[in-house]
Amino acid sequence: MTAPVYILGGFQTDFARNWTKEGKHISALIRESVEGALAVTEVAPREIDVGHVGNFAAELYAMQGHLGAFLVDVDPAFSGLPTGRHEAACASGSIAPLAASAEIEAGRYDCALVVGVEQMKTVSPAIGGDYLGTAAWYELEAKGVEFPFPKLFGKLGDEYDRRFGLDDKHLAHIAAVNYANAKRNPRAQTRTWYMNEEHACQVSPYNAVIGGRIKISDCSQVTDGAVAVLLASARFAEAYAARRGRALESLARLQGWGHRTAPLTFDAKVAESRDQPYVLPHTRRAITDAFTRAGIADCWALDGIETHDCFTTSEYMAIDHFGLTAPGQSWKAIEDGVIDFGGKLPINPSGGLIGAGHPVGATGVRQLLDASLQVTGQAGGYQVKDARRFATLNIGGSGTTSVVFIVGA
Amino acid sequence: MTIVMARKLGNVVVLGANGAMGSGSGAVFAAAGIRTVFLARTRDKAEAGRQRAESMVKSTAISRFIETGGYDELEARVAEADLVFEAVAEDLAVKREVFARVDQARKPDAIVATVSSGLSIAAMCAAQSASFQAHFLGIHFFNPPNVIVGCELIAHAGTDPAVVAFVRELLAGPLGREVVETTDTPAFAGNRVGFKVLNEVAQLAEEHGVVFMDALVGPHTGRAMAPLVTVDFVGWDVHKAIVDNLHAHTADEAHAAFALPAYMQRLIDAGHLGNKTRARGGFYRTDGKGPDAVRLALDPRTGDYRPLAELARSLPAFVDQMKAAIRVGRYRAAMDAMCEATGAEADLLRRVVLGYVSYGLCRVGEVVARPRDVDRIMGFGFNWAPPSVLADAIGARRLIGLLDRARLQVPRVVVEAAEKNLHLFDEPEVDRGRFFVAA
Repeated sequence: MTAPVYILGGFQTDFARNWTKEGKHISALIRESVEGALAVTEVAPREIDVGHVGNFAAELYAMQGHLGAFLVDVDPAFSGLPTGRHEAACASGSIAPLAASAEIEAGRYDCALVVGVEQMKTVSPAIGGDYLGTAAWYELEAKGVEFPFPKLFGKLGDEYDRRFGLDDKHLAHIAAVNYANAKRNPRAQTRTWYMNEEHACQVSPYNAVIGGRIKISDCSQVTDGAVAVLLASARFAEAYAARRGRALESLARLQGWGHRTAPLTFDAKVAESRDQPYVLPHTRRAITDAFTRAGIADCWALDGIETHDCFTTSEYMAIDHFGLTAPGQSWKAIEDGVIDFGGKLPINPSGGLIGAGHPVGATGVRQLLDASLQVTGQAGGYQVKDARRFATLNIGGSGTTSVVFIVGA
Repeated sequence: MTIVMARKLGNVVVLGANGAMGSGSGAVFAAAGIRTVFLARTRDKAEAGRQRAESMVKSTAISRFIETGGYDELEARVAEADLVFEAVAEDLAVKREVFARVDQARKPDAIVATVSSGLSIAAMCAAQSASFQAHFLGIHFFNPPNVIVGCELIAHAGTDPAVVAFVRELLAGPLGREVVETTDTPAFAGNRVGFKVLNEVAQLAEEHGVVFMDALVGPHTGRAMAPLVTVDFVGWDVHKAIVDNLHAHTADEAHAAFALPAYMQRLIDAGHLGNKTRARGGFYRTDGKGPDAVRLALDPRTGDYRPLAELARSLPAFVDQMKAAIRVGRYRAAMDAMCEATGAEADLLRRVVLGYVSYGLCRVGEVVARPRDVDRIMGFGFNWAPPSVLADAIGARRLIGLLDRARLQVPRVVVEAAEKNLHLFDEPEVDRGRFFVAA
């Protein structure tokens, strides 16, 4: 980082909500998250210099583009606010803070409002699945395919199986841990749902196969949600901390970031990594880039990880790519309880995408907010004890765009 | 926590496990990994309850924790139980009969709970042993219990406080409930405050029509489902039982609102119980099937059912203003539209909605200890905007003026909030936006 970037706080909508059933437009999601973030941080609208919105496909789901402009509608003081919208499939919610933090590092602005938003329950699961296919190379991998993404991430599991061996019971454990964690999170989509390892291992009418080795219990679920966070320069954060009677060091800070893009099709990714130790080397590179920028040696300098478990296979991949185990041996960390809530390096104390929910464009911002809550001791029921440093990994497509943040306090 | 939880809960017996509340409540216990015995009149009926529990939680894995049996096994099963959960018919005599059997068979320290939605807890256990009484309380889940997490915990004067403390932690901890403690007063908190509104709307429907009242006091006033649709969903028999009980046993400012409308009694006598009597209907009925289905609504004055389109009256402009504001997340603006509108229809709506805020918050001190208890049961149990959420969106000062004008009681907590310029609703974990619906 060329200059420090602080996270003042933020607000997440309840990911269990169905905004279509509530009769609401996507602008209501944006408004609620922004008003919530301003209320929580006690920052006045006129103090915001710039707004960034992360969103995947509002044009498809909500027939609405130009989302940055909706920020201006939230408060009269936002009149004239420079805004924009960022898209990188499921990583959209990380590209927005990446851009906002770059502007703060460059000294352009002192306080940035970052919103991640997606409204997905506007359409049937089949149509929504087709829309999600545009995060892959649509014509090659998704057109005419029912639920393309479970199949692509099933292939990720198959690739692990081919190279190293993969026992699906380890995937079931990942699902069970995420659901169990979500029960502690009052904003998690699945907090009242029933799940355990036994159920996740069963194939039944209640846990059908969606594609390949992927069952319903292996999937994060479609939902609606918005998250807003405020990022600030050292100058702004110093004054902010002072007026709240707190030390600057008590605020969460971005310590490092990584950002890499792999070939779009899954087959091209696997072909490229054939003789390499990691199945998704660009994801690994995003992680090590972030470690280097944060000045940490490895994952053991972290107290927790919020990772992209769009499917259990993506979390299985994240475990070895973060370096919890040697490549291909993620199962060891699972069997040893390392990733459990009380484990040596808990993964997704929030419940992750599987437990907390995955409103696509909101996920990256949600991870960043959860990481900042964890390192400042504000995560409530899902607080990891004495957490000082967290990492996030947000992935767009089938491991295509990878964004990592290291957040500390 | 650890001291209280030292009492073990290894074995729950659910009585009436074939019904909606019995099987749903049993599912909540079993989902927490507690061995749960489903008992019903016959083992087959209990089995049906077990299958219903599976379909509710969408997993067969839950059945690892469920056993089933008929009432011929009641004594043997109850003898092993740490908690007996009664969900038989909502009839004092039937419940007392069951409790007499339970009293004979239970372990001396076994807890006995009833899921009753409003009968007197003290009266239900009055004929039983001192030990039974000390271990007896109400656990009022809302239907369906695996989805609706709000629940009421009701002790009677003789319940052992240690038992209450244990059940409180069981509910809030392993069972994941949002627990509200209420006094042993008729219909407790949620149904007392909720059915006051529902029955008032049913009364007003006689003059203003079913379709109009549901449209006026619809989701845009802070509820997932319109009031009379809700009564059809609950069942007119259940509605009658609750409001009759309240009318007979309460004497507060809402007493008149608990009088069951005569037209409802006539239709109940003719077998109209809402959705459960599909052919006859309730406030609404669907005739025909598929593309030919016609949705009809009751005309309370004649008892006839007519197509919705024929009965629809145009709505005042402020209703559309409220919905448009809610659609884009401007909830205060929606409340502004409601508060500032003029005319008889606006007065009517304010009478119902502000009456709800007033009646709910005025139960503090009588039914519950704190405003947040009313708020939590209306939010987590009824899925209605909690009174304090509406009060905050309206503004305490303005609310006082409006309550005065509508000749409604001003709750003390609203006066305090106005004086100190405070928000009433203080639940940071609750995302209050969900209570405003633009359907």
